[in-house]
Amino acid sequence: MHHVIIGNGIAGSHAAQVLRERNPDGKITIISAGALLFYNRYDLPDVFRGRCDWIDYLVHPPAYYKENKIKLRRKSLVTEVDTNKRTLTLAHREVMSYDQLLVATGGAAYVPERLLEFIPLMHNFNNFRVAMEMRDALPDGGTVVMLGGDALGLDLARTLVETKHRVVLVAGDRTFWPHEVNPETRPRYMQALEKMHFEVIDGKQVDRVEQKNGKGPARRVVFDDGSDLPADVVMPFYGLSPSIDFMSNAGIDIERGVLVNPQLQTTRDDIWAAGDVCQIWSPEHNAYRFFYGWKNVKMMGEVAARNMTGDDVAFTTALDEVLQIQPDGTITSPFWDYD
Amino acid sequence: MTSIHTDVQIGICGSAGDGTIAVGDILKRAMARAGYRVIAFDEYPAEIRGFGKCVARTRITTEQVYSMKPSTDVLVSLNDSHAIPHVQEVRDYGAVIYDSAPISLIEEGWHISGHLNPGQLPYSLAMREISEQATGANRSRNIVALGFVAGLYRLPRQAFIDAIAAKFQTKAAEVTESNVKAFSAGYDHGAQVYRFDKVEVGPPARRTRKQDSTMMTGNAAVVRGCLDAGIETFFGYPITPATSIMERLAVEMPKHGARLLQTEDEIAAISATIGAGFTGARTATATSGPGFALMSEMMGLGVMAEVPAVVFVSQRGGPSTGMPTKTEQSDLNVAVFGGHGDAKRIVLAPTNVEGCWRCAGRAFEMAEAYQTPVVVLLDLYLSNRYETVVFPKDNPFIADASKRAVLEKPDEPFRRFELTVDGVSPRAVPGEAGGIHTATGLEHNEFGRPNDLSDMHHQMTEKRHEKLNAALKHPGITIYKRFGDTGEVDVGLLAWGSSFGEALEAMLLARAEGIRCAAMKVVMLSPLPVKPIQRFLNDCKEVIVPELNYEGQFANLVSGAVGRSVIRLNRVTGKPMAVNEILDAIRSAAGKRKVRKSAA
Ligand SMILES: Cc1cc2nc3c(=O)[nH]c(=O)nc-3n(C[C@H](O)[C@H](O)[C@H](O)COP(=O)(O)OP(=O)(O)OC[C@H]3O[C@@H](n4cnc5c(N)ncnc54)[C@H](O)[C@@H]3O)c2cc1C
Repeated sequence: MHHVIIGNGIAGSHAAQVLRERNPDGKITIISAGALLFYNRYDLPDVFRGRCDWIDYLVHPPAYYKENKIKLRRKSLVTEVDTNKRTLTLAHREVMSYDQLLVATGGAAYVPERLLEFIPLMHNFNNFRVAMEMRDALPDGGTVVMLGGDALGLDLARTLVETKHRVVLVAGDRTFWPHEVNPETRPRYMQALEKMHFEVIDGKQVDRVEQKNGKGPARRVVFDDGSDLPADVVMPFYGLSPSIDFMSNAGIDIERGVLVNPQLQTTRDDIWAAGDVCQIWSPEHNAYRFFYGWKNVKMMGEVAARNMTGDDVAFTTALDEVLQIQPDGTITSPFWDYD
Repeated sequence: MTSIHTDVQIGICGSAGDGTIAVGDILKRAMARAGYRVIAFDEYPAEIRGFGKCVARTRITTEQVYSMKPSTDVLVSLNDSHAIPHVQEVRDYGAVIYDSAPISLIEEGWHISGHLNPGQLPYSLAMREISEQATGANRSRNIVALGFVAGLYRLPRQAFIDAIAAKFQTKAAEVTESNVKAFSAGYDHGAQVYRFDKVEVGPPARRTRKQDSTMMTGNAAVVRGCLDAGIETFFGYPITPATSIMERLAVEMPKHGARLLQTEDEIAAISATIGAGFTGARTATATSGPGFALMSEMMGLGVMAEVPAVVFVSQRGGPSTGMPTKTEQSDLNVAVFGGHGDAKRIVLAPTNVEGCWRCAGRAFEMAEAYQTPVVVLLDLYLSNRYETVVFPKDNPFIADASKRAVLEKPDEPFRRFELTVDGVSPRAVPGEAGGIHTATGLEHNEFGRPNDLSDMHHQMTEKRHEKLNAALKHPGITIYKRFGDTGEVDVGLLAWGSSFGEALEAMLLARAEGIRCAAMKVVMLSPLPVKPIQRFLNDCKEVIVPELNYEGQFANLVSGAVGRSVIRLNRVTGKPMAVNEILDAIRSAAGKRKVRKSAA
């Protein structure tokens, strides 16, 4: 039995570990677009605390993969899945076969269409390399303009403020994503952000981002009212968009993410999905929905792996998704927790 | 500011026709131009045509090193099916660079990215596409890959551009132009990549700036040694891996008024060489094992007639045609003992490229001084490997080392083979008044006239043997040398020829692990410096003799001379001895001592 997992995040990596425990002799291959072994992305804000060697972020040492007979194919982007032949095509034109497939490709930063053309001028933070590049672009005490302000961004913003940088948050309807914040409670949360020493700009739309040459901050954010804001670094934090391009011709049901039942099985018997990439049927909500956060994603990896090896367990969320206001007036998100 | 000690080995692997050796060549020349020390060695198939595997390895350092490294830091694949077996050579946190956009679909398991160890870092590069964009053709994908490596590690761009220009100087200007474009495109890609590997290249060390050092192969160093020694004639017949000695001499000797002749075979070559030596010319030939076998009869004549001549023998895998493009050290026996009769001769085996130059130059002096053929024993690894070498400013070789006869009484018969205290007779060459004599393969008396009386044969045989002992004290050459710990050691390495570099590296690694250890190189294999070897062995609790032959030809030579058994470490893989294997042998010999000690 060849279990192939696409994605080297917590969902895919944990699934591989559980698969190995439950099927000591099966062949397990993880395919990853990235160059590194599985590392903890939740810790990436630590690059601002001087933790700048990727090796320090590894969850498992290199020997783990050999010991557990887990084959990790890095720098291998899956471009197509042929579910009839049970094959995958990789960007370097190698065709691989699978018996069972787990899609755990996570998501990429979502950027609203009107800002897509400015992506080259914005920094991301979703992998070690770009985190380091962002860090290198930000001078001591420099200004980060955060667009959107989702929960992942707020997590980073806390560290930036702690490490004496200036954070300006351009708030909008994606602020606090994936938490749902209703108009009545929103002002309290916005106040909490200021309590956390973020400068908040609310009610303005970004019109464009510009490159500035010469001395001073390298970027300028221009708003639709003509006002502007200098910035060393501009970052989009509008939530995630599932990475599913390569599945478009696979013949399985997809909405925004890969649709799966509570057992995390897709519309095909031999394909499962886990993590940020999947929308799980929730009888409670009577809809397919995403579940985020380390604990949920890890749990999904486990559930998928168990079901791929003959179990029949259903995913239930491990998190209370409510955004908390602490007694000191700051907020904490359950999505910030990980082990 | 602390500067990084650079020690990086880059391997490039492809198929014949991929331009693997060509880019390896540019890499090493560029790095030497930039002032680094370089050792490089290429592996290529025996067949001139076809699609065999080529591997070009280059070790780039700021400090003096002695061999290729046991593991590679960066591997570039120009052909995955050839490069896949070499992935295991790459160390943890080293880099593997490969083509991310092959022409056609690849079957599962045939892309190199699937063969990396978890500790290695992959870098993919659309070599073909970048070459097409930069030059309009995909031919320069090898140069693109080279540019990528250079950009990735921020190697000095201009040194590469100069090396490319030098490489293609005989071709049309567009060829250089298009390769520079391909290189620059690769460089720009490499410079943009975020590096995860732990491979660091610092600036070159000051003292190795290019004006002080030259990069060359062992064979090129032999040629320089010949020229510096004032070679006058050379006769040879081509054979891998010695051919390039003749090729280079053919270009250089006429510039110095010297003569080279390609003969019809090796027998003719050695015959002409001995003949030229008889006339007083500084003369040499170069061959490999099979050719030397053909020369053995004339070697006997050279010994018997006491004619100075130099024979360069570059060993390859044997016997017979064997493995012409693979290295081996299995011609020690034939070099030292080969032939008929009691035909002792001088045999020198340099251990590095600088040694090739020195041994070549001194071989002419010794041939003259001791009136004998001198064999300089190289091997493919040494002949073909590149090293940066620093030569002394002044030519150290003596122009005439002959014991010239003082011919005061032209009418008296000349005692060409006079029995003297040091065994070396005064020598005259044809044309010198009063120096007329017979040189013959027959046993002879002091005048050179045939004479087979028992006493005469005994005296003459003794003379021909004993005169060579003076070579053990020949000035200006190190015929043995000890390295590492002084005094008593747990493990000693006794090595010769090209394997000594690996032995020395292994010894240094073992010392770093806390093992008391020393290594001795032996450059003169005949006559053998028995006493220093004996002293060294007395200091060593265990002795390892690493060499590239099956039974241990040097181990036999040494054991026979000193009457002590040694640990034989023999490999006949066609490849240089791996440093790690020697290190393992040292560890296990050192461990054995410990076990014995604790048992006692
Ligand atoms: C800096 C940072 C901080 C975060 N903090 C939080 C947080 O505080 N709370 C929270 O809820 N979430 C946070 N997240 C989101 C978090 O990453 C996810 O919830 C969780 O890690 C998702 O795990 P996953 O395994 O589903 O996918 P991911 O971790 O996104 O892994 C996806 C993997 O798939 C691979 N991949 C994608 N496409 C392909 C393809 N076509 N072919 C091959 N491989 C592919 C990628 O290379 C990657 O290895 C954070 C993310 C980042 C970047």
